[in-house]
Amino acid sequence: MALLEVDRIVKRFGGLLAVNDVSFAVDTGEIVSMIGPNGAGKTTAFNCITGLYPLSGGDVRFGGYSLMGMPPHRITKLGIARTFQNIRLFSYMTAVDNVMVGEHCRMHAHVWDALLHTPTARNEERAVEARALQTLRKLSLERYADVYARNLPYGLQRRLEIARALASGPRLLLLDEPAAGLNPQEKVELMGVISRLRDDGLTIFLIEHDMRVVMGISDRIVVLDHGEKIAEGSPKEVREDPRVIDAYLGHGASEAMRTA
Amino acid sequence: MPNGEAAAAAVVEPPAVIAPPLLTRFRLRFAAISAQFFLAFMIAAFVALIALVFANKGGNETGAQLINGLYLGGIYALIAVGYTMVYGIIELINFAHGDVFTFGGMLSVWIGALLGKVGLDMTKLATSNFGGLVAALLIIFPLTMLCTGLLGVTIERVAYRRLRNAPRLAPLITAVGMSFFLEGIMFVTAGSGNYGAQKENWITGTAFTVHGVQVFWPQLFVILVAVIMMVALQVFVRFTRIGKAMRATAQDRDAALLSGININRTISVTFFIGSAMAGAGAVVYAIYYDLLQWNLGFKFGIIAFTAAVLGGIGNILGAGIGGFLIGLIAVFGSELIGGAWSNSIIFAMLITVLVLRPTGLLGMRVPDRA
Amino acid sequence: MPDIADPQARVDLPDTGRQTRAAESSAVLWLVLAGGVLLLLLGWLLPWFVEQTASGVGHSPMDVIVSSPTGIGWLAVWAMGICMLALLAGVGYDVFAQLTERATPFRWSRIRAGLAILGGLCVLLIFILVVTRSELVFGDQTPDALTDNAVWMMLTGFGLLAFSYGLRPWVVTHGGLAFTAVAFVVGGLFPLMFNQSPGFVVWGAQFAGIYTLLALGLNVVVGFAGLLDLGYAAFFAIGAYSTASLSSAAHGIHLPFWVIIFIGAAAAGLFGALLGAPTLRLRGDYLAIVTLGFGEIVPDAARNSLFGNLARPSTGGPNGISGVDSPAFPTHGHAIFDYGLFGANPRPYYYTILILVALIVVVLRNVERSRLGRAWVAIREDEVAAAATGINTVQTKLLAFAIGASVSGFAGAFFGAMLGTVTPDNFEFAVSVTALTTVVLGGIGNITGVIVGALLVSFVIFWVLPGLQEWMGTVGNTVGISGLSTIQYSDYKYVVYGLILIGIMLLRPSGLLPSRARKVELETGAESEPLAAVRETG
Repeated sequence: MALLEVDRIVKRFGGLLAVNDVSFAVDTGEIVSMIGPNGAGKTTAFNCITGLYPLSGGDVRFGGYSLMGMPPHRITKLGIARTFQNIRLFSYMTAVDNVMVGEHCRMHAHVWDALLHTPTARNEERAVEARALQTLRKLSLERYADVYARNLPYGLQRRLEIARALASGPRLLLLDEPAAGLNPQEKVELMGVISRLRDDGLTIFLIEHDMRVVMGISDRIVVLDHGEKIAEGSPKEVREDPRVIDAYLGHGASEAMRTA
Repeated sequence: MPNGEAAAAAVVEPPAVIAPPLLTRFRLRFAAISAQFFLAFMIAAFVALIALVFANKGGNETGAQLINGLYLGGIYALIAVGYTMVYGIIELINFAHGDVFTFGGMLSVWIGALLGKVGLDMTKLATSNFGGLVAALLIIFPLTMLCTGLLGVTIERVAYRRLRNAPRLAPLITAVGMSFFLEGIMFVTAGSGNYGAQKENWITGTAFTVHGVQVFWPQLFVILVAVIMMVALQVFVRFTRIGKAMRATAQDRDAALLSGININRTISVTFFIGSAMAGAGAVVYAIYYDLLQWNLGFKFGIIAFTAAVLGGIGNILGAGIGGFLIGLIAVFGSELIGGAWSNSIIFAMLITVLVLRPTGLLGMRVPDRA
Repeated sequence: MPDIADPQARVDLPDTGRQTRAAESSAVLWLVLAGGVLLLLLGWLLPWFVEQTASGVGHSPMDVIVSSPTGIGWLAVWAMGICMLALLAGVGYDVFAQLTERATPFRWSRIRAGLAILGGLCVLLIFILVVTRSELVFGDQTPDALTDNAVWMMLTGFGLLAFSYGLRPWVVTHGGLAFTAVAFVVGGLFPLMFNQSPGFVVWGAQFAGIYTLLALGLNVVVGFAGLLDLGYAAFFAIGAYSTASLSSAAHGIHLPFWVIIFIGAAAAGLFGALLGAPTLRLRGDYLAIVTLGFGEIVPDAARNSLFGNLARPSTGGPNGISGVDSPAFPTHGHAIFDYGLFGANPRPYYYTILILVALIVVVLRNVERSRLGRAWVAIREDEVAAAATGINTVQTKLLAFAIGASVSGFAGAFFGAMLGTVTPDNFEFAVSVTALTTVVLGGIGNITGVIVGALLVSFVIFWVLPGLQEWMGTVGNTVGISGLSTIQYSDYKYVVYGLILIGIMLLRPSGLLPSRARKVELETGAESEPLAAVRETG
């Protein structure tokens, strides 16, 4: 049984069929990328997996448990964390506060502990703050702990969002276009970060447009076009798949390439 | 490299609640369906309401209450239009609108007093003969509507314009403040008790009788005025350039701006018309009831807003229909449960509509957020 | 994500959390300074102004103070005066030094602190002397009401000024503690001031206390969680009616006050969650209107005696419930425990509410800095991201409603016991608007701010507006417009509320003491889309 099983999911927005019968699986410890032209339904699929959009059909299973109908926060608690395509940090909170919010679902203090500032609450807060700083350190962000998120440069904001996602202790990390807007140096750093995370035991599933990044770190690639899965396989297989080439470069391009 | 299947099972902790897939699917479908059947549900409930009263109190009483509901609804409709137009164009609940209505009522009294000082006794004119009545109405209506319209425009200019791009909380609080400000002024000017409108003798008498149910002239007048105003407004919005500008601005402000529409002026016109309609409602109200009170606008305002929401916020026809519907519901509801609860019935109605079907009956505005 | 390249955007917000905390502390400093100056000037000038135009009624505090005090009092007064001058000189010197960028003399801050402590001691001494009446500091004249008020205001103003200016560095680094200290000292000594009409003043202070509680509770809902609640009076009503029902002759149950107060709060909290539940998926403005609706339904239900009938109305109908017990300590049959405190004397009530406010402030501060407080900020900023990060938005919002409502429940319970009668008319929309005004004026989301807002509003309603009646009379006589005195200034209460709300929103949306995050949110248009809207697009 794979860690994440996406089983024939369908997502309809009124008359528009955004995701149509897509199935794939992600095994523990893999890095899987989802690629495809713009508008292919990749982020929609992400949103379906993380519970933001209710599924119109099909099912998603995580560790064997069905995620259908689960609200997003429950899915996060189960062990899936995500980042967003257009960074959605809490801009008016400091970096460490952002990461501490990520720890929210792992904390056990009750409301009355908070109200009365009991030792339980106090100790937990201290532990959480320490853990948050540790997470920041893991991503080389500890210098910016007290800086407001909106004042950080773009590349660091992306990393902070990953830090926040890590704070909830996930097994599966979903990254939505993590390399968007980064310069080449930052992209290389990003690839290093992702590899390190995998080495620490995380499974990673990402959407990405930059082919160098995709080819560089992925174990497997899933290709979407117009809401349907058109290819799946190792980077080499996908690179040479005529359907993929057609989707990206236009119908008939693979023909042209072969005969050229 | 992939670890193998056994690892996956051990790694994930079971979720707190495991919902069986079928139940979840059912729950989601039900939510979708209940929204669609809202209209049917409303109609059924409404018919049941009337039937209950009919069974309880008999045909004559039902007929009388029907007329009561319609004329009350007419007043609500006239006020609701203002709410719906303003919300449609700048997505703001204009809390002060109900108080503009009350102000209109008081204005009509002051205008009458002013004219009296100049030698024109409005009441004498109105009660002299039919021609006099028409003349009196033709004087009082436009004057009051003009004044309330200007009041609306001023309010927008002073309080709302600067906050047009602010987060929603700010103009809302300002609107509440403006509402209280107006109420405060009326409290200071007119006192805390009833303020006579002095128009109750203008229109009297029975118009006609249907199946033993009397329809009085004032009631008929209210209903006619409301319907005529609605229709006129609908025509205006559909067929004039300004009306088109208003519709465009309501749909997409930036696109309208780029098309060369003067947004400020369009919004001002919207406020003017909405407030003028409220002014008309106030005159009509003053003719039928004799009581104005400083906090009248508060109650009437919420009820009218409920009507606007029920009919579909942003939709003028919806506001009209909603107004009449709410009037009927209020009247029939009070018949069944008792007058003291009529406000609570309306609020419960509001909450139900907002929770189950925020787009209302003629649901025009679709949230364009996601 | 807002564009970080936008230079305008970066100017408003300090870079780090530490800078914000420093800014907030210096805001406290300015507040205490301003308060001191205001009170000082008000106390000094007002009676003088009135005295000049009236017929010999009222004396200026300076007249009174320099008119033949004897002994220690004389010394204290003169010392205070010299201190005041020295402090003023010190301020002037500081400003001069800053403008010309000179260094201040060695140990200048120590000198300043010393002056402050000396001045404070003098104030304290005068205070004790007057209170114990051991020395007629005010000469042989018994000051009338206005002068009496003026003298106390001047003394308090001077005390605040000396404290904040003299101990400035300490205040800036320990803003919260400083404010608490000031609040406790002034609050604790308050009933001992105002010799002329202590009952009335303390009575007004109790209302100020209730408004403060309402402001604190509403601040949780509007300020922390960002949910505009316009029907807040409903929870106040529930707290009051619980008290009234369970400790009066209405149902023959007489639970002790100290138990009732928690029951009232719990009941209100429960209703907070219940009434908040339908609003969770609604957008801001619809949420406001729905809460408004609930705010109307609850007094209606009380008026119509829900769960009862005409024979035995459970809530007393339009006349409400009267004969509510005053708070009392359980005597356990021993007369020694019967202090008989809560009779006609308002002071025990005042101290009760003061302690209540203090406790609630502590609790709310704890919550603000806990994971729940963080969750509220997260939801306010970006509900979708918050949910994706693992926050249960439903539970978090319901907790906001519940906690906010229960604070109001405390206030209601106290209100019932204080007045002895609870009627539906006490819980009209005006109460909700008053609470909203205090929160908006003081600073949405800032605990210190809303306390200040509540105190200011109470000050205006209970002292300024009624006082205007008197003062405008004499002003009118001077200026020749006799009409000024016939205006019923107290009636302008609603106008004042409206103007405050409109004014603040147009000029300074984040209030007098802004809370950092809210300030930028309210002024730059950041807004979070509701999670329900996103989830329902399918």
